[in-house]
Amino acid sequence: MKGYTRYFLVKFGWFLVTFVFAFVLNFTLPRLMPGDPVAAIVARQAQGMSNPTGVQAIYQQYTELFGTNRPIIEQFFIYVRNVFRGDFGFSFSQYPRTVAEVIGASIGWTLILQFPAILVGWILGNVLGAMAAYLKGGFDKMVMPTALFLSSFPAFGMAIILLVIFAVQLKWLPTSGGYGYNLIPSLTPTFLWSAFVHYQLPFWSIVLIAIGGQAIGMRSMSIYELNADYVKFARFMGIKDDKIVAYVFRNAMLPQVTGLALSIGTMVGGALIAEIVFSYPGLGTTLLNGIMGQDYPLISAATLIITFMVLTAFFILEIVYGLIDPRIKAAQSD
Amino acid sequence: MRSRFNLWIVLLLITGMVLAACGGGATSPEPAVEQPAAQEQAAQEQPAQAAEAPATAPAEASAPVDANALPRDETLYYNGFQWGPVVGWNPYSNSNNNGMAIAQQDNARVTMFETPYLYNMLDGKQYPLLADGDWSWNEDRTEITFKIKPAARWSDGTPVTAEDVAYTWATHVKYETAIGAANKAYIDTIEAVDPQTVVIKAKLDENGRAVNPLIVQAYLSSYYVIQKAWTQKLEERSGGDPTKLMADPAEDVVYSGPYGKFFADDTKVVLVRNDNYWGQDPSMWGKLPAPKYLAHTIFKDNAAGTTALAAGEVDVSQQFNSNVQDLWEKQNLPISTYLPDPPYHIGASLPTAFYNLKAPGLDQVCIRKAIAIAVDYRAIVANAMTNQSATFEQVPRSLMNPTPFEQALYNREAVRELQWVGNDIEGAKKLLDDCGVVDTDGDGWREYNGEKLSYVATCPNGWSDWQAAIEIVAAAGKEIGIDITTNFPEWSVYQTVVTKSDTPLPPGYEIFMMWSAGAGPTQPWGRIRNLLSSEWIGLPSNWSGNWGQYSNPEVDDLLAKIPHETDEAKLKEMYTRLVEIYLTDVPSFTLMYRPQNFHTVNESVWTNFPHEGDGTNPPVPPLNLTDGWSIAGLYNLTLVEP
Repeated sequence: MKGYTRYFLVKFGWFLVTFVFAFVLNFTLPRLMPGDPVAAIVARQAQGMSNPTGVQAIYQQYTELFGTNRPIIEQFFIYVRNVFRGDFGFSFSQYPRTVAEVIGASIGWTLILQFPAILVGWILGNVLGAMAAYLKGGFDKMVMPTALFLSSFPAFGMAIILLVIFAVQLKWLPTSGGYGYNLIPSLTPTFLWSAFVHYQLPFWSIVLIAIGGQAIGMRSMSIYELNADYVKFARFMGIKDDKIVAYVFRNAMLPQVTGLALSIGTMVGGALIAEIVFSYPGLGTTLLNGIMGQDYPLISAATLIITFMVLTAFFILEIVYGLIDPRIKAAQSD
Repeated sequence: MRSRFNLWIVLLLITGMVLAACGGGATSPEPAVEQPAAQEQAAQEQPAQAAEAPATAPAEASAPVDANALPRDETLYYNGFQWGPVVGWNPYSNSNNNGMAIAQQDNARVTMFETPYLYNMLDGKQYPLLADGDWSWNEDRTEITFKIKPAARWSDGTPVTAEDVAYTWATHVKYETAIGAANKAYIDTIEAVDPQTVVIKAKLDENGRAVNPLIVQAYLSSYYVIQKAWTQKLEERSGGDPTKLMADPAEDVVYSGPYGKFFADDTKVVLVRNDNYWGQDPSMWGKLPAPKYLAHTIFKDNAAGTTALAAGEVDVSQQFNSNVQDLWEKQNLPISTYLPDPPYHIGASLPTAFYNLKAPGLDQVCIRKAIAIAVDYRAIVANAMTNQSATFEQVPRSLMNPTPFEQALYNREAVRELQWVGNDIEGAKKLLDDCGVVDTDGDGWREYNGEKLSYVATCPNGWSDWQAAIEIVAAAGKEIGIDITTNFPEWSVYQTVVTKSDTPLPPGYEIFMMWSAGAGPTQPWGRIRNLLSSEWIGLPSNWSGNWGQYSNPEVDDLLAKIPHETDEAKLKEMYTRLVEIYLTDVPSFTLMYRPQNFHTVNESVWTNFPHEGDGTNPPVPPLNLTDGWSIAGLYNLTLVEP
């Protein structure tokens, strides 16, 4: 266990170092964009104002409120202090809402769209890939090209194709939104059905692409494993087929698990395209609007969430690897 | 065989999971449904209002069967007012971006909060709303007096009083809100003489005259009256901190308008009618507005909004619907605009190309004018605006918007010679030749002071109609030997550069587009001031206008005189002179006319929307039944299938 503690501490050290770098970049990069976000807020305030000194007063009020009149170093330390208190401050583009409020209102939609889509895509893809490798023949000939075709689509292409076919041409499903335009969210059957219907296109646009990629990976790994010596040996020993399949499946899974962890880590950013194409309310749309509106606090907070999720996913993965595969731990602890 | 069976079991399980996942999606963690405040209040108010309320059905009777759905025949759907989630309901703050409920300006939106008077852009008059009868100046034009209607009530049932008007103003000044900051140089105090009578005292100049009587009278129809009791509550919870006061989302705000908050989330905002609204008193409308709900879906862009309009999911569209006529001519949809033929809308603002007057060559009138007369405005109107703008043949170029009211304010005959209609390539070339701006080195481009005339024309990226217009400006330059290229930076960058008037504009901003003021009670004076006044030069953040930094003492003098002038003949003379100077000096040039609001309606559910010659008197302006006098249109709506 001593070796493992060392392994764990080293990994944790790297996790922290990466996080600090990412944190600094999250703060700095948005602020390097040219333009003045406070001017945009003042623009909203100043519409129809006829007194020049009045506009000046408003401008100063807001630069002070958001601290954009202070040196960037000072802004950084204020930011760090506030973040550790769990305070991401006001959103510029949706002032006076706070960043926490803005993200809170949208992240639920993203998680509910992405998490099941990633899981379903991952499971379906892996099962299909494993089946293609195992069954071979006609099934493989059908699955393999379909998977290749699907996985080579860019996300927005898939989303737009689904949109055009099922919403615009066939009119089976709505073109946009999270629920019907004439509804108010509630737990009534009407609303739940409407949300379910609106969920379909963004969900499948993510799932279909995920299936393709996963199936290809799983198929290759499974074929490799199916031809491994231990399989031949097991067959030779007369071990039952489904027992062998279980071994093969487990061994082939390792890189696929990495893929799953990555997908879950990048979930929030990954939803962006489906959300934008289908006007689905969620963090992706919110983040894009934040970028357009130079909403530094919102961009920083959203990217921080993504960074944190990716890093955590990787960290957990490394720790789990250390546990399940001693070779990795041994190789990296030297 | 068994392994295959196992695989099918797995597949079945996964299918089950998909369905479960989908179901999970449906039960998304939505905010709890807001209790319709107006209905709650309706229940409380019953005793106070019972005597006055006419025998209309009570709120409960018309409530939808499913309390969470919005019945199509009771809801009027909008687009184009709200482009992001609603952040609050606080009328003290313009950053509580609430497109359907809060817009305090020339045609204040009066769905939820009310102004003493309602401005009508079609005839330029102010009609009483909270006020009882017309307002009046005292003899010296230093004080305005008006009365509050005895019937006017807040949503909590208490009467609207003169004290509320006075306290609203005092609060704006005390906390330096945008409205306070904008008006305190012109308004000294607002006082309540008695519960019904309000006196607005203008700030006086060194001669004892009101600094600007025009702005004082505009206040009456531009800014909301807010309840004193609620304001005090707000002050208390913000602890006297102006930032907190303005940032407060004011979910509990008391209002006097016909609608209040029903629901808002990141995808839509819905207002519900207050069925005890005071306006059903015979002294005002005598009835309630027709739709029970006003709903606005937040669309991601114009294209999404147009799709919803065509699908009948939007009744009233306040956005640019490209080729709007196709909706009825080609798709045969029951959709129409205020005017049946081009330009389809009443123009009210003048999107303008400004010259950077410090750029080499652009300090010369002949070069500025040559570019301006060479531009093909007909192509701009046809392409960029898809004919939703009057042409400059229809409405000759001036500083006035195309409303009959403003067009009558200047003498067209006196400036006819100066009013160019564009695409005059030969005229532009001659103008340049005559002032010695010619191509001396034979490279095809003209030189000024030995330097090739080369400019960049700029507007924000993604503003497709403006970009199309700017491309046409650049094309005109090439026709007359002036090299104009285009540049489209992001809006966030663009606005920062353009609104900095304390430094010269950087290279790349030789010709650039910005908006102009629309219709309102200070117009056209306010618009002309924004286009030409030198008082905006030197501001580090200038959102007012004159971005090319034009300076002319005669213009400044006329702008100072107009607010004090009451003689119509003299006013007309002064406006005519301003137009003459503008067309002679060409510090900037208007590229198109744009309506105050786009007003496109789908009549598949609701009908009787305002349109030209609809017989309403006074005429209801095409401002989508929310702004100023156009709120009158909400009372005229009927269902297509009652």
